[in-house]
Amino acid sequence: MTVVPALSMTGISKAFPGVRALDGVDFECLPGEVHAICGENGAGKSTLMKILGGSYRPDAGAIHLAGKAMQFTHPRQAAEAGIAIIHQELSLLPHRTVADNIFMGHEIARRGLLDKAAMRERAAELLRRIGARIDPQALVSSLSIAFQQLVEIAKALLLDTRILVMDEPTAALDERDSRTLLNLVDSLRGDGVSIVYISHRMPEVTAIADRITILKDGRKIWTRPRDAAPISEIVRAMVGRDLKDFYPAAPASMPREVLLSIKGGTNGALRDVTFDVRAGEIIGVAGLEDSGKGALAQALVGDAPFTSGTVALRGQPIALRTPRQATAAGIGYLPGDRKREGLALRQSVRDNALLTLRSMVGLLTRPQRGALADGVIDERLRAMDVRAADFGQEIGTLSGGNQQKAIIVRWLAQASDILVFVEPTRGIDIAAKAAIYETMRVFADSGRCIVVVSSDMPELIGIADRVLVMHQGRISGDVPRGASEEEIMHLALGLADAPSEETGA
Amino acid sequence: MTTVPQTSPSRHRPARIAVNAGLVIFIALYAAIAFLQPNYLEPGLFMNFLRRAAPLVILACGQLYVILTGGFDLSMGAVATLVVLAASILINGDPDATWAVIGALYTMGIAVGLVNGLVITFLKVPSIITTLGTMLLVNGLALAWSGGAARGDLPDNFRNLGRLVWRDVPLIGTLPLAALVLAAFVALAWFGLSGTVYGKRALAVGDNPRAAELAGTPVAATRILAFVVSAVSAVTAGILLGGFSGVSVNAGEGLELQAIAACVIGGAQLLGGRGSIWSAVFGALSLFALFTLLNLLGLPQALRDSIQGLILIAAVGATVWRTRRRT
Repeated sequence: MTVVPALSMTGISKAFPGVRALDGVDFECLPGEVHAICGENGAGKSTLMKILGGSYRPDAGAIHLAGKAMQFTHPRQAAEAGIAIIHQELSLLPHRTVADNIFMGHEIARRGLLDKAAMRERAAELLRRIGARIDPQALVSSLSIAFQQLVEIAKALLLDTRILVMDEPTAALDERDSRTLLNLVDSLRGDGVSIVYISHRMPEVTAIADRITILKDGRKIWTRPRDAAPISEIVRAMVGRDLKDFYPAAPASMPREVLLSIKGGTNGALRDVTFDVRAGEIIGVAGLEDSGKGALAQALVGDAPFTSGTVALRGQPIALRTPRQATAAGIGYLPGDRKREGLALRQSVRDNALLTLRSMVGLLTRPQRGALADGVIDERLRAMDVRAADFGQEIGTLSGGNQQKAIIVRWLAQASDILVFVEPTRGIDIAAKAAIYETMRVFADSGRCIVVVSSDMPELIGIADRVLVMHQGRISGDVPRGASEEEIMHLALGLADAPSEETGA
Repeated sequence: MTTVPQTSPSRHRPARIAVNAGLVIFIALYAAIAFLQPNYLEPGLFMNFLRRAAPLVILACGQLYVILTGGFDLSMGAVATLVVLAASILINGDPDATWAVIGALYTMGIAVGLVNGLVITFLKVPSIITTLGTMLLVNGLALAWSGGAARGDLPDNFRNLGRLVWRDVPLIGTLPLAALVLAAFVALAWFGLSGTVYGKRALAVGDNPRAAELAGTPVAATRILAFVVSAVSAVTAGILLGGFSGVSVNAGEGLELQAIAACVIGGAQLLGGRGSIWSAVFGALSLFALFTLLNLLGLPQALRDSIQGLILIAAVGATVWRTRRRT
């Protein structure tokens, strides 16, 4: 090829105390190319991107932009060189307007004063270019995650970005918004922008990428054009083995007695939700953003309780007004936002796994008594294959998959009967995913049950025994195991099987 | 039992020997004191040092509970002042009233702690504002009640708690009663944090209250209890202060900030989630050793405040720097 790559990284190495994060990695991206990077968590993707973005300095290796050697010592230099990185966690200021955010640090001034009108106009133009119907005057906090992501992209385009890195851009998006985003990526490619695309969602990667690079344990496994990289090959390269049994087999037995029964559950975000949860079942909950699927999980765990309707546990009516009541009733919660809602990041792996047990025993219980002892919880963590050099280390230093497993251990230790999982595998690697699915199946097969809320449709189809589909706060349908994505999407869009009174709502 | 069997996930590391930063600083400062004034190495003077440092150490232990859960308690100095004034007015020189009044003082302290905790958890007012409010309120009440000047009288059995020193004790020579009170309070505070599950709950609440709540932790109760412990420590410190400095309207002035500074010097993290009882104990001893050292050097009292400010900034800066370097 005679084209000069827009970006070429050669022989990049980086070591952290105790870890060789990157070992002689080569990576390049042509103008107008979408180049996907796949790898398990901890494979080195983030480190590579942090080096590209100027946050880390490599121990060895060189970076060339359009043939010119570069050395970044500060993220600002990378930004000035035309590199923009959109992180998984968005970096917008929620209480400022869209236009303010887009021009953050690059405000247009006239005679020393901000030229708000010019910024508004330019912001509107950028948003139009990416096909986003967003008012530049709107507050960022009023936008959905999907729209916020578009604002981030508009912000990147303002700086005449030549290389756009997108780190798990669709992780927080539902099916419809993901598709919009992929269309946008496609049009940016048409404008000659080089896009480095990091994702765990295989169908997305094979749909959008021109080339795919696999990293594993800090080394590059291969780079291939999309046509030469079927999903099975990618998965094998990422984990070093076949993952045929990615999803566990269907349940060993038919669902048994009703554990939890919700009738007419209603609150600000939910309307007349009625369903039963049976022992031995994994129930999936699907829906687009704001369909109420997240609100349903919050209601079940007492975080945003039902304001009317009845909840019965094994036939006995109970109140689920606070997470503590739900915990006492045997309901456990794996929140969708691990860092904000799931973990005390500066506490140890052990402390995080023990949090619920310690919270539910009497206040004067000795910290090392019975199930609270280090040895007992360590055994549980090992059984769950939580990988850490030392369970006394801060949980914030572990990969997402291991963090997620530690939260699951928390509820297994508490001997909860009903687990409510929200996006259990968001942003975690394939091996950890498979392990979590397997744990879910084993848990349900032992006569308990799981309600799993997810935006990842193949995941729901693969793991759930039946899927409740939500639309505008209601359950718009209930599909059995083996249903297709189309069927679920149909219900999620409210196109069929909607209760009659909903027409016109 | 996963589809992906793995090799042994965890190997045991030799436990790190955690040396408390406050302990190192304390030893260094005390060595400097001893260099200037070698008789500080005698048990008698060391015991006297402990006696005078006792109120600050006790306050720091109480403040630590609040800091761990992610808050501040600015009202403890005012509570200590109120204790001194109320004790002298209520007891008014009658030794028989001492124990009943001490009971009443603790009840009052617990009430202040409960009010702080309830306002913070249920009205969601930030702790720094709430306790600033109670500080002004309690100070004002104390001054109004006493008429702005020390009134009444403290009997010897009350004052002995702060100033009684037993002589001719084997091994250590002298033993101040205040040092025993100090040891007992630190032991109780240690037990609360390390001997029960409360300490770990407090750390989790200070680190991420939202995650703790969703995991079933009684977040409100954990916070309220911390403010009650803090207020109880302020009452205890007030009783000792009344004992050895006598009655004065500014007995507890500025102590709340010294207590916070002490915790931070000892390595507790402001805004919660990190620290141990030893942060409070050695932090407070360091701060008190520093005050002693400044006295020995003949620096004016007023400079104490400036130096305390500098230390607070340096200590917080060092913590932030250490955290950043680790990531």
